[in-house]
Amino acid sequence: MREITRRGALKGSAAGLAAAGVIGAPAIAQARRIKIGYVSPQTGPLAPFAEADNFVIAGVREATKAGLSIGGRNQPFEILVKDSQSNPNRAAEVASDLILKDEVDLMLVASTPETTNPVCDQCEVNEVPCVSSVAPWQPWFFARGGKPDTGFKYTYHFFWGLEDVIAVYTNMWGQVPTNKSVGGLFPNDGDGNAWGDKERGFPPVLGKLGYKLTDPGRFQNLNDNFSAQISAFKAANVEVVTGVVIPPDLTTFWNQAQQQGFKPKAVSIGKALLFPVVLEGLGNAGHNLSTEVWWTPHHPFKSSLTGARAQQLADGYTQASKKQWTQPIGFVHALFEVAVDVMKRSKGAGERASVLDAAAKTRLDTIVGPIAWGAGPVKNVAKTPLVGGQWRRGGTFKYDLVITDNQTAPNIPIAGKMEAIG
Amino acid sequence: MASPHTVHAGTRAGRLGALLGAATLLGLLSVPFWAGRADMRLIVEMACFLALAQMWNLMAGYAGLVSIGQQAYVGIGGYALFALAMHGGVPPLLALPLAGLIAALVAVPTAFVVFRLRGAYFAIGTWVVAEVFRLSLAQVTALGGGTGQSLPAAIVRAIAASAEGRDRLIYFTGIALAVGATALVFLLLRSRHGLALTALRDAEGAAESLGVDSFRTRLWVYIVAALGTGMIGALIFLQKLRISPDAAFSVGDWTANVIFIVVIGGIGRIEGPIVGTLVFFALRALLADYGTWYMIVLGAVAVVVMLKAPQGLWGLVADRFDLDFFPVRRLVRGPTP
Repeated sequence: MREITRRGALKGSAAGLAAAGVIGAPAIAQARRIKIGYVSPQTGPLAPFAEADNFVIAGVREATKAGLSIGGRNQPFEILVKDSQSNPNRAAEVASDLILKDEVDLMLVASTPETTNPVCDQCEVNEVPCVSSVAPWQPWFFARGGKPDTGFKYTYHFFWGLEDVIAVYTNMWGQVPTNKSVGGLFPNDGDGNAWGDKERGFPPVLGKLGYKLTDPGRFQNLNDNFSAQISAFKAANVEVVTGVVIPPDLTTFWNQAQQQGFKPKAVSIGKALLFPVVLEGLGNAGHNLSTEVWWTPHHPFKSSLTGARAQQLADGYTQASKKQWTQPIGFVHALFEVAVDVMKRSKGAGERASVLDAAAKTRLDTIVGPIAWGAGPVKNVAKTPLVGGQWRRGGTFKYDLVITDNQTAPNIPIAGKMEAIG
Repeated sequence: MASPHTVHAGTRAGRLGALLGAATLLGLLSVPFWAGRADMRLIVEMACFLALAQMWNLMAGYAGLVSIGQQAYVGIGGYALFALAMHGGVPPLLALPLAGLIAALVAVPTAFVVFRLRGAYFAIGTWVVAEVFRLSLAQVTALGGGTGQSLPAAIVRAIAASAEGRDRLIYFTGIALAVGATALVFLLLRSRHGLALTALRDAEGAAESLGVDSFRTRLWVYIVAALGTGMIGALIFLQKLRISPDAAFSVGDWTANVIFIVVIGGIGRIEGPIVGTLVFFALRALLADYGTWYMIVLGAVAVVVMLKAPQGLWGLVADRFDLDFFPVRRLVRGPTP
């Protein structure tokens, strides 16, 4: 009896809350307050990308707690953070919430096309300025139907592109004597299709540079058997392996390669080798695996917001979390650097047209390097420098990322020479 | 000589329910004239989940078809919308019913495969079929392959020139789908077919011996549910603006959440999905910002309700106060003295 009443009350209040949520009062004009929306994958399989978000955002909030001075008046600076749950459906939903309910002045989004693309699509249709990062520009631009001559109106992106990662990888391979026979691991997802694309991806460039590419075709993510790929690579006498795979697939591939006696001299893989935790999962077999490097504590840049050098930002994270630094730290911080800079140059809260105008005219030296749209490969893309590195055992942490090639960005110092695996 | 017993389906609560329903509908129709865009979008999302839940409830709660593969038809509906609107030049709103038809057409051969399985095997079979559709669409490069595809802004703007006009059209479409799905289930169950369905659910052997064709009855339910689910899927992805195989055929978003709604609200009752939708969205509004904890709370709520109130939250209320707003049961009344 008692239980029923309690349950009834519970249900009643839940329904009441739902009704309150539905019939919320229409937005009333309030004190001018700058609202920045930020969407990232804080839970789910992509969560390592957003691991440092809380640390970075706490730093930005500290630096902007006095508000921004715009046109002689002070406007509070508010950051609204939403979790995409690593799910493109949820990413579109929370973006739409931030746009329609919170009426953000500027949207920021980070990490993988699965997060950036749905959020940017919502911004483009709802006419909200958006700055995006941490996804190579081709899967961000072309997979959203972007046309190079017209581009997008409301969405801007800064990161590197496939042409950069190809240059970095081939430069690294050039340091190690090989037979120039390359095996490709390209899954059937946003990144894999872009990297393996016959016109805009790896195949045409590798051909020009004299490499022979063996591409056994697209496979589904979370593949549990790479025997077909391994035997194709062995048959073609492959000495270099490349691709862009998710962390569990790299672990499966590399373990099976060892078991089946496949021993390439260089393995340069995107996405999976970003995070030290993946290397730790490989035991000792991760030594000298290589990857593209977009940000390290050794990058010679400093924050336009706090003045901190890259090393100081990374050390702050390690101190606060007792964890090794990761590459997204710099880029998430840079997103907020751009946001603060754009808002300062705009007419402030509630002036989306001027915010868009300011965003398009951005010229800022950030902790990931200079960012300016207009000089990029297409209208809405700005490129940041990319170098290459190898994971080595026996440093401060179990594995350390050592920069081994900087021909693409000589201002970023190298810390060692490329070594062959094994 | 006429029997002194009469069979009737109407109840006093049913008449009250009709009044309440009409009042709610009028209230909902007035929303675009006073509420903000965010509120309208939230109501459309709730309407989509309510309609999905009604379709699933029709299958599981009345026809005994416990499918965990309804995301197959959400995905097919969504992809049909993209194919028709982007490659066929069909106006997006007109593409919605067509997407439903395509889903229904796909459901026919699918039914002949999955209906060979029973109970738990049927459930797993439907999931496998949905995965097959997901993997197949990932190979179709014209629809974006595994990368997915965005609906060009120009197509969205073609619905109506202003953002406000677009929101209103989508809002009324969403309400129409939710009301239509609820009315469809209600009317279907009030008809002969409904009687056949409930008979099959309660005692298949007995029903068949009385001349109910179990295969045909269930086939129709499966196809109707696919039609409704396909239209809802098209509406969902018209708002999401972007489709990819993983998003379109997501078992978590389009089936697990829907099963949660129906089970929490009360399976086999038309009010169940309504109550379940309200509870689901209330929990999401309160907890979605707490990351993993949100999932843990959802799971805990489902477990507690299933253990303590297997007939769902509405079941508790309905049995306690003898409420039945959508009377689909037939009651036998004895001769009045």
